[in-house]
Amino acid sequence: MDSTLVLQNLLSPPVLFFGLGLLSVMLRSDLEIPSPLPKLFSLYLLLAIGLKGGLELQHSGLDRLVLLTIGAALAMALLVPITSFLLLRTRFDTYNAAALAAAYGSISAVTFITAETFLGSLAVPFDGFMVAALALMESPAIIIGLLLVRLTAPRGDNPELNWGSLLHEAFLNSSVLVLVGSLLIGVLSAAYSPAGMAKMSPFTDQLFYGALSFFLLDMGIVAGQRLRELRATGGFLIAFALLSPPVHAAVGLLVSLLLHLPQGDALLFMVLCASASYIAVPAAMRMTVPQANPSLYITSSLGLTFPFNIVVGIPLYMAAVQRLIPAA
Amino acid sequence: MNRLDLIVSERELERLCAALTNAGAPGYTVLRHVTGRGHGGTVSEGMEFSGVGANAHVIVFCEAAALGAIRDAVKPLLAYYGGVGFVSDAQLL
Repeated sequence: MDSTLVLQNLLSPPVLFFGLGLLSVMLRSDLEIPSPLPKLFSLYLLLAIGLKGGLELQHSGLDRLVLLTIGAALAMALLVPITSFLLLRTRFDTYNAAALAAAYGSISAVTFITAETFLGSLAVPFDGFMVAALALMESPAIIIGLLLVRLTAPRGDNPELNWGSLLHEAFLNSSVLVLVGSLLIGVLSAAYSPAGMAKMSPFTDQLFYGALSFFLLDMGIVAGQRLRELRATGGFLIAFALLSPPVHAAVGLLVSLLLHLPQGDALLFMVLCASASYIAVPAAMRMTVPQANPSLYITSSLGLTFPFNIVVGIPLYMAAVQRLIPAA
Repeated sequence: MNRLDLIVSERELERLCAALTNAGAPGYTVLRHVTGRGHGGTVSEGMEFSGVGANAHVIVFCEAAALGAIRDAVKPLLAYYGGVGFVSDAQLL
């Protein structure tokens, strides 16, 4: 692997700020970010990428490649949780295996944003429709996770399910709502109010990198706190959290090759397949599968998979992309 | 007069408050952003950005006669979603 790719990623401000957050926990610093701010920054990041994705989607249109890529993203959102569940069920009970499978079948928007920023630093172009794939991959795993519980848990352990609440949580939770809403606003505004979109640019473009760095500082703190609970997760889950991302990314690369995706889109597709949710899924699982232990699915996705992907995974996947897909 | 101390995840707070109201609780006090350590490990505000959040502490003062209905309404929620509840005696100042 090209060491400059690793260094370029590792020494970028967002990743360094993530490391600073981790370090602050290890050094027992009193660094703390007031709780409403990370929520604000996470909503801002989703709004900004949704709006930019909508703008680019309006320009590119919905051609065959876009539809095939979105279809493949949805297929991966079904495949990853099912295969993960089958593996995890060998070591965990139905509830924990399903909650973990849902987390790994869904995606991490911040990992996707970090990969977009990495592509920007390499001047590798990517298409706006990948944001649509991001938005569509967030929710199906939640439904699959719950269906797996319904199909495999002992009958007496399944209380009556309120499908309305579940679908509401899966498709209208704040992150999905802001992302999909911003994407649609971007498409409409780019078509009918280009001047309005231009006025949004200082907010969505120029503040973006700083906001991402600040948010990753907080994520480093939270991930560091979660790492303390690693002992409770056990060796099997630690191995799963670190090995499943490259495996899922490899499947994503294979799909990208079949679809003839360009380098930038292929990396983003791999990152979508390799990342795990620590925002939408934990909230939904807490509500729908309360028997599952949040320490397992939050610690593994946020404490291990997320740092692995943003520090090692993204340059590793990019090296594979550069080896197998010629630059445009 | 009895005092109920209920500690649940903030995500189930709305559900719990609705159950208390339907069971005839005369009122309740809610303390949000409650952190600490419980059966599931450390509870902090660190995950608030994800909607998982910290815990909430709900305090109810009620007559002994109302306790049965409140207990019947709250216990299934605590059993399903997790959380703890304690009853103690209370006196008006």
